[in-house]
Amino acid sequence: MKENNVKEKGCTKIMVCCGTGCTANGARQVLARLEEKLRGNKNFEVVPVLKATGCNGWCEKGPLVKIMPEDITYCQVKAEDVDEIIEKTLLRGEKIKRLLYRDPQTKEFLVSLHQTDFYRKQKKIALRNIGEIDPASIDDYIERDGYKALEKALKYMTPDEVLEEVIKSGLRGRGGGGFPTGRKWQACKKVPRFPKYIICNGDEGDPGAFMDRSIMEGDPHTIIEGMLICAYVLQAEKGFIYVRDEYDLAVKHLTQAILDARRCGFLGKNILGSSLSFDIELVRGGGAFVCGEETALIKSIEGFPGEPRDKYIFPTESGLWGQPTVINNVETWANIPVIILEGGEKFASLGTEGSKGTKVFSLVGKVVNTGLVEVPMGITLREIIYEIGGGIPNGRQFKAVQTGGPSGGCIPAQLLDLEIDFDTLTREGSMMGSGGIIVMDDTTCMVEVARYYTNFLAVESCGKCTPCREGLRALLAILTRIVKGEGKMEDLELLQEISEVMQEASLCALGRTAPNPVLSTLKYFQDEYVAHIIDRRCPAGVCPELTVFEIDAELCTGCTLCQKNCPVDAITGEAKKAHIIQQDKCIRCGECYRSCRFRAVKVK
Amino acid sequence: MKLIIDGREVSAYPGETILEVCRRENIFIPTLCYHPAFKGQGVCRMCMVELEDENGNRRMVASCTYPVQEGLKIVTFSAKIDKVRKNIIRLLASRAKGSDYIQDLAGQYGVEPLDLPGLDNEKCILCRLCVNACKLMGSSVLAAVWRGIDKKISTPYEEAAEECIGCAACYEVCPTGAIEMKEENGQRIIWNKVFNLVLCQHCGKAYATEEQIALVERKTGISLPALCEACRSQNLAGRLKNFSG
Repeated sequence: MKENNVKEKGCTKIMVCCGTGCTANGARQVLARLEEKLRGNKNFEVVPVLKATGCNGWCEKGPLVKIMPEDITYCQVKAEDVDEIIEKTLLRGEKIKRLLYRDPQTKEFLVSLHQTDFYRKQKKIALRNIGEIDPASIDDYIERDGYKALEKALKYMTPDEVLEEVIKSGLRGRGGGGFPTGRKWQACKKVPRFPKYIICNGDEGDPGAFMDRSIMEGDPHTIIEGMLICAYVLQAEKGFIYVRDEYDLAVKHLTQAILDARRCGFLGKNILGSSLSFDIELVRGGGAFVCGEETALIKSIEGFPGEPRDKYIFPTESGLWGQPTVINNVETWANIPVIILEGGEKFASLGTEGSKGTKVFSLVGKVVNTGLVEVPMGITLREIIYEIGGGIPNGRQFKAVQTGGPSGGCIPAQLLDLEIDFDTLTREGSMMGSGGIIVMDDTTCMVEVARYYTNFLAVESCGKCTPCREGLRALLAILTRIVKGEGKMEDLELLQEISEVMQEASLCALGRTAPNPVLSTLKYFQDEYVAHIIDRRCPAGVCPELTVFEIDAELCTGCTLCQKNCPVDAITGEAKKAHIIQQDKCIRCGECYRSCRFRAVKVK
Repeated sequence: MKLIIDGREVSAYPGETILEVCRRENIFIPTLCYHPAFKGQGVCRMCMVELEDENGNRRMVASCTYPVQEGLKIVTFSAKIDKVRKNIIRLLASRAKGSDYIQDLAGQYGVEPLDLPGLDNEKCILCRLCVNACKLMGSSVLAAVWRGIDKKISTPYEEAAEECIGCAACYEVCPTGAIEMKEENGQRIIWNKVFNLVLCQHCGKAYATEEQIALVERKTGISLPALCEACRSQNLAGRLKNFSG
């Protein structure tokens, strides 16, 4: 099953999505079954080529199997479906309806992934190759213009011209800070000290975020190429990719990619016959969230505990081992080859005034189509959640969207038409962060959300400076007593005041943004705090101490679903008659509230 | 180079921090994690000052880590700075309920500790001066371990550390009395380790541990007379007197 057969004989390609989501749902079994059934299959004149690709982004519908060139996408494929796929689709060219995606509105069966609402609004730059290539194959990458940007830079451009192109693109760092990438490179280039280092920050730690993971797993060579282009600008000879050790597949694919790039002469001495010599080392992080902060990451590479330092001198001047260092995030690196190949202007034509290009978001939570999406900057939250994401499942109400990772903020429904970019999100009390979007419906308690993220940060911050460490300890204690129904109205002022000091005086960006979950929920959902404190009631029915559920006898159809779901048998009643919750037995877990299809279970 | 601190022009050397210049110029900035023997750490954040740009916009920086630049305009006291310092003291007082020093400081700043389920009788404020002192002594036994609100100062695995020489530099430098040390029957107990004390040949005072003397001798290659600091100075003075005749 050689790659070049494909072009010569135009044979079929079968691509099984083996991203982390699809793998968890059994993609590897599908792949193994296909391999077994296709190997030496006498029924084919030319046996189809089988490929394991990176994440297609539509994790909700995985495992996905794409068949090219017909461009057929099968969703939620199981190993048992393989025989039918071979028999009907591969041999006879028939489509299997039950495996196609059916548009929930039009009820139409869509043959290709690219016809779905989930894909149509997307614009893939950083994710351009993912799902289209086998990440373990350098040939696949090269076939899709891989390393062409490097060749263009080395042969036809001076380092200054390359830098100019990156500046012109308006690209800003995708890791959270949003610092202009070109200006960062320029600052480092100006420092007349060598050696210079280049680092790829792959320490993605936000709960529910997996865009960098997907790129490292699905298209590792684009990162290497981006770093090589930067190395040419800075005359750097050494680079590091810092990836968290939990990202097993990313470590595997990056290791393979580095070896392949060395073998093919893209890494090493005199690359492509030029004077550029550059090599990359993989550093595996221990999984501390704070190591995503660049100065902490540098400390970690040096072998010290990952703690940030005051950034009054930037890493571009004094970074790794005190040398000038450029550190960019995975997604930033993935954009570089495209900018060089197609020009900075073309990239800058996408996006908003202050934020150019596209951004990858991981769309999770209470939304129909969870997954990874790449969209132009300036798209509205409404478009992402309702058009791409397909809206809120189970007919629930949208309540808020949390962006920017744990130290981002919650944005309420009245801001759904916000055109999102670095600046608008910050203005509204949240942030872009690395691009996490967590959708919340009306069964979410915003005080509990604030407590949850504050707790995450309290244990995941480094604990070095007083305002962040002790501030988080205080915020957590206050929020905990509010969700337990022991809060006082003065607590709200206290939350505000402590948050302000954290913003002013914390050492790093993590500490300065850590109060965002508290401040944004206080700003947009203060009534919920008040309900917890004054009424001793959790309106969303989440906080066990403050919730009482009851069944509306008028609405209850006696379907017994709640009864079946109740873990403590607290619900009594005969079928087709109104049910009753035994309050002395109820543990307020909310199972009945969430499962009732007739909205008969109410929060008292 | 010239700086303007609180409207006054002040000279500074390149490489100095704002705090170092202020200390020299007798401009008061409170600190908890700073000690002139070590580099500024930026840990306690008590030393926050404001920088003013040409448009009059201000931003807060830690004076103990901010390197001076020509023409920098610095404000060392304002309502905003006062609020930050008071809140930092309040947060530390809520943490270190067992430290008289911090509780007194809270009194001076006029702040009440928060009513939080705290650490029991905690004295440590994690200023890390002990970690710096230990490193400077050449042992590097102490470190700030764990993360976030669980951060604490510890020896490796909280066990008696082989490299600890019992010099008690950590104990001496600690501003809040958080490090426990016991001396009795010619022995010193610190960081879960017992040391034999060496007595001064001249005055009989216990002045160092055996391990401490061994380390100094190994590092310097000089065998030291068993004298305490006071007697050693006296001895040296006596010899110098003979020398100068």
